[in-house]
Amino acid sequence: MAVTHDISPRLDDLVVTAHRIRQAIESVIEGKGDAVRLTLTVLLAEGHLLIEDVPGVGKTMLAKALARSIDCPVRRIQFTPDLLPSDITGVSAYNQQTREFEFKPGPVFASIVVGDEINRASPKTQSALLECMEEHQVTVDGATYALESPFMVIATQNPIEMEGTYPLPEAQRDRFTARIAMGYPEASAELEMLDVHGAASPLDKLEPVATTAEVRTLIEAVRAVYVSQPIKKYAVDLVTATRQSPELRLGASPRSTLQLVRAARAHAALAGRDYVIPDDLQDLCVPVLAHRLLPSVEAQGQRRMPEQVVADLVRRVPVPEVQTK
Amino acid sequence: MRLPIAAGAATMAVTIALYPLFQGGAWFWASLGAVAVVTAVGVPVSRYSLPPWLAPLGQAVAIWIYLTAVFSPEKAWARVVPTRESAVGLAKMLVTGFADIQRFAAPVPAKPAITLLTCAGVALIAIVVDVLASRTRRAALCGLPLLALFTVPAAVATEPISWPAFILAAVGYLGLLVADGRERVGHWGRAVLVRRSSVTSRAVADVGPLRLSGKRIGLTAVVLAILLPALLPTLEPSPLFGFGVGNGRGKGTNSISISNPIVSLRGELSLPNNSEVLSYTTTDNLPRYLRMYALDIFDGQQWTMTGSSGLPEDRISQEPLPPPPGQSRQVPAVTVTTKITVSPAIRGMEFLPLPYPPSRVQVEGDWRPDRDTLMVFSTEDTAGGLTYTVVSDEPKPTAEALRSAAAAPREIAERYLQLPRDLPREVRDLAVRETAGETNPYERAIKLQEFFTSKGGFTYTLAAQGHDEQALTDFLIRNRAGYCEQFAASMAVLARVLGIPARVAVGYTGGAKLGERWQVRTHDSHAWPELYFEGTGWLRFEPTPAGLTGQGSATVPAYSRARAADAPDDQPSAAPATGSDSSDPASGSASNPRNRRPDLEYGGSGPIVVEEGTPLAARIGLGVVAAALVALIPAMLRWQLRARRRRVSSRAARPAVVVAEAPGAVTVRTSLWHQATTATWAELCDTLYDHGVSRGPSESPRALAVRLAAQHGFDAPAEEAVTRIATSAERMLFARTPGENGPTREDLRVVRRALAASVPRGRRIRAVLLPPSTLARARAVGTGLLDVFDRLENLRLTGRKA
Repeated sequence: MAVTHDISPRLDDLVVTAHRIRQAIESVIEGKGDAVRLTLTVLLAEGHLLIEDVPGVGKTMLAKALARSIDCPVRRIQFTPDLLPSDITGVSAYNQQTREFEFKPGPVFASIVVGDEINRASPKTQSALLECMEEHQVTVDGATYALESPFMVIATQNPIEMEGTYPLPEAQRDRFTARIAMGYPEASAELEMLDVHGAASPLDKLEPVATTAEVRTLIEAVRAVYVSQPIKKYAVDLVTATRQSPELRLGASPRSTLQLVRAARAHAALAGRDYVIPDDLQDLCVPVLAHRLLPSVEAQGQRRMPEQVVADLVRRVPVPEVQTK
Repeated sequence: MRLPIAAGAATMAVTIALYPLFQGGAWFWASLGAVAVVTAVGVPVSRYSLPPWLAPLGQAVAIWIYLTAVFSPEKAWARVVPTRESAVGLAKMLVTGFADIQRFAAPVPAKPAITLLTCAGVALIAIVVDVLASRTRRAALCGLPLLALFTVPAAVATEPISWPAFILAAVGYLGLLVADGRERVGHWGRAVLVRRSSVTSRAVADVGPLRLSGKRIGLTAVVLAILLPALLPTLEPSPLFGFGVGNGRGKGTNSISISNPIVSLRGELSLPNNSEVLSYTTTDNLPRYLRMYALDIFDGQQWTMTGSSGLPEDRISQEPLPPPPGQSRQVPAVTVTTKITVSPAIRGMEFLPLPYPPSRVQVEGDWRPDRDTLMVFSTEDTAGGLTYTVVSDEPKPTAEALRSAAAAPREIAERYLQLPRDLPREVRDLAVRETAGETNPYERAIKLQEFFTSKGGFTYTLAAQGHDEQALTDFLIRNRAGYCEQFAASMAVLARVLGIPARVAVGYTGGAKLGERWQVRTHDSHAWPELYFEGTGWLRFEPTPAGLTGQGSATVPAYSRARAADAPDDQPSAAPATGSDSSDPASGSASNPRNRRPDLEYGGSGPIVVEEGTPLAARIGLGVVAAALVALIPAMLRWQLRARRRRVSSRAARPAVVVAEAPGAVTVRTSLWHQATTATWAELCDTLYDHGVSRGPSESPRALAVRLAAQHGFDAPAEEAVTRIATSAERMLFARTPGENGPTREDLRVVRRALAASVPRGRRIRAVLLPPSTLARARAVGTGLLDVFDRLENLRLTGRKA
C-alpha cells in the first residue's frame, strides 16, 4: 500500500534532524533525555518553555545548548529586580545624524530567547516579555515590530519558595506551553559530568546542527500531523477533568487545550508518527497542564501537588475506545 | 412525620390485595378511610414528639369513632360520639360479619357487616404497622403484620393473587423501608460544604449513590421475587403467578391435591355473572349430568377425595377406559356419544366434566383416568378451550334388577361405607326412621330421595352455613335449608348409614338447551350423591329440589322415581342394550391389561399421585444435564461470538486499499478492514477479561500491548502479534489512513495462547467454561435496565418540580 502523502518524507527528515539536535544537546547535559525531548517538543509546537528548579542543576545549560545547536540568533536576558521593560523590548533613541528617532531592538528580537531567573524581575518587566510571547510582536512608541519565526522563550526560574522572587501570576504562567523540572542528575551521570566538564565547558565545542530554515520546515511538518476527532475529544475531556476536580481551585484554560494538542502533534512527529495517539497526550499532560493549576485548600493541606493531581486524572479519564456495535 | 404516612401507604398498598375477596368497592373506601384516620392521628404525634404510647391509644379511639360514624351513626350521639347502644350495635354487626364470612365464599357480597369486619381488621393492622414503624422504629418488622394481611386473600381465594397486586404491596413495603432509611440519614445532619467555589451543586451528591443503590437493590429484589417463582419450579409455561394457598393444584409437581371441590362449587354458584362453562351435544339429544369429581371420604364435616392414581400407560388415547366398577354386562345399557366443548375462558380445570360412566374419551393432551372412580384428570393440561368426545355406557337397570342386587363386594363396602365414629345418634336414627318398613337397599334409597325432595320439607337456599361439626345435624334436623352440597352430602351420609355404598359427585347438571346444543353455565354447578348397586354400578340420585326454587336444571333420574322405576322405558332412548354373553365381568375383563381390579396399592388415601414413566435416577440425570446445559450457555454465547468475530476478521485479511485525493484530504477506508480491526480488538479485550487481565480506563491500545508483553512474559512472536493488533486498532481510531497490515486470526490465536500460558489453570478453565466477558455483558444489560428505571424516576421528579 502506498500512502501518497508528502508528510512522510518530511517526517523522516524531522526525525533525523530532531535526533541530531537531541544528540548535540545531550553531549552537553547527561542523563536528561526526557527534559531534552520535551524542550524539542515545545520548540516544534511553537511554544515557550518554563524550566523550574533549584540553582545549579543545568537549567541555563539546557537553554544554551538548544540555542547553540540551532544556527539561529540567540539572546540571553538575566532578569534582575531592576530590569526595565525597555531592556527587553528595545528603545527608540534619537539619532543625531538623521534627526529621527530610531528603534534599537532589544534582546527579545531573536529566535531563541533565554530568560534567566525570570521570577527575579519585577512584574512590570515580566509582563513585557510575556506580551511578546503571546503576540509574537513588540509595540514600542506606537510602532509594531514583528518577531522572527521560530520564536521561543526558554525561561528559567527558581522555585517560588526561594528568597527574593516575584512569583509569576497564573495568567502569565498560562502562556508557557510546558514547564519542566530538571531534577538532580543520577550519580553516574554526575560522575561523567565531572570528567567531561572538568577541563573545559563542552558548550564551547558545540557546533550548530540545524538551520533556522530547517527548523521552520520541521514546524510546518508538525502542523500537518493528523489529530482525529476522538483525540480532540479526549484532550477536551482531560482539560475538563481538571476543571471539575475537587482538588483544584483553578482548572486549565482553553488556551491550554490548544497548546496541549499542539504539543501532542510535535510529540507524535518526534516519534515519527503522522497522527496523534492518546499516549502523546498522556505523556504531555503533566508538563503542559500542571503549572497552570491551583490546588484547592484541601489538596494543599494534604500536600497534593498539581502534578500528582493531574497524573491521577490522566489515569482516570478513559481513552477513546473502539466502538463495537 | 414522614414515617406515619409511609406506614399508612404501605398498609393501604397491601390492603388492595384483598380485592378478590369482595364484591364491589365499599370495603375499599371504608378501609381507606380507616387507614387515613390512623395516619392522621399518627402524624401529629410524630410531628410534635408526643409520647409514643399516645399514638396507638389515640388511633384506637379515633377508629372507634370512625367506625361508629360510618356503620351505626343512628345510635350514636350526634351521629359521631359512640354511645352504649352504638357500641352494642357495632359488636352485633361484627358477629354478623363473622357469620357472613363463614357463610359466603369469596367474593363475598358487599354487606355492611362484612365491610365493618374488613375495615376493623385493616385498621388494626394499620395501627400495628404504625406502632412498629413510627414508634418503635422497627420498620422492617412491619413486614410481619403486612404479610399477615397479604396472606388472607392468598389463603381464602381460589384465584391466585395477581402480580400487579403483589408489586403494589411490595412497593408499599419498600417505600416504608425507604422512608425509615431517609429518616435515619436525615438525623445525621446536613452535608458540610467544603468547596469554596460554588460552581457545582454537588454538595448533596454523597447521599445520591446511597439512595440510588438502595433503590436498585429494592427494584432487583421485587423483580427477582416476581420472576423467580415464575421460572423456578417448572420448566413448562404455567400461569405466571401460582402462589397462594387456594391454588394448591401446583402444576408441574407430581403430587396434586384438590383444594376443595365443595368450596369452589359454592363459589361458582354464588358468582354474580352466570357465564358459560361448556356446551355439548349428545347423540340422543338428552341432557347428561357431567361429573368432575367423586368424593368418597366423609370426615364428619365434609366430603373429600382419597388419593387415586393415573398410570402413564392408562393415558387416554384411543383405548377404552377401565370398565366401570360393579357394572355387569347383563344390565342393559345405552351407549351415548357426547361431544363437549369447554369454554376457552375456563381456567385451571384439571378434571374433565364427563357423563358417567365414560368408556371412551377422545381428547388432546395428557389426560389419565382414575381406575376406581373414572375421574379423568391431568396434571399438565387444562380443559379450557378443549373439545372432546365421550362415549358412555349408561346402565338402564330395571327396578327388579336393582331390588335384587347382591351385596357389594368387600373392597367397595370397606371404602364407601366408612362413617366417622362420632356421627350424631340423631342422624342415624333419622335414616332408620325415614326408611322404616323398607328392607331392600334400592327401596331405601328411593325413600331417602323422597325424604329430601318432598317429604322432609327442605328448602333450597344458597345462603347456607358452611361445613363445621354442626352443619350436618343443622341441615338434617333443624333448619332443613341448604343447597346441593348439603343435599348431596346428607343423602350420601344417610345412605352409608343404611349400608348402601355412597359417594358425592361434583360437576355440572345437564344445563339448558340452546339451539342445537346444551349449554352449561357456572350456576349449573352441582353436587349429587352416587349410590352403588352390585351389577349396575354407581347410580346417580337427585335429592336437591329442582325448578325455580331449587337447582334450576336438576333432574331426577327415571330409575329413582318411586313408581316410574317399574317402567324403565319411559325415556325414548332407553332401548336395552344387548346383554353380553360373557359370563363374568371380572373374568371377561381380565384379558385386558387395563382391567386389573383396583387393588390395595392404589387404595390408600393421600394426594393423587401421578406416576411418571421415567425412573428417579434418569430424571435426576436429566436434571443434571439440563443444569449443565444452562450453565454452559455463557460459554456457548462466547464461543459463538468469537466464531463470528473470526469470520469477520478473516474476511478482511488482505490489506486495505486506501485512496487519498490530496494531502490532508479525507481518505476512504475500506469498511472491511475497519470491521476486521474492530472485531479483532473487541475479541482481544474480551479474551483479556476472560483471563482476568484488568485494563485501566486510561490505557491506550499501545500501552496495553506494551504492558501485556512485559507482564505476561510474551515471547517475540506473541509480542509482535499483540503489537500488530494494538497498532491497527490505534490507526483505526486515530490515524488518517489504516495501516499496511491488518491483524490476522493467527495474531489473536498467538496472543490468546501466550496469555493462557501465563495465567493459573483455574482462570484458564473459567475463561472457557464460564467466560466473565459474557457475564459482564449480561450485567451491562441489567445495569442498562436499571438506568432506564432511574431515568423514569428522574422524569417524574422533574415533572413534579415543573
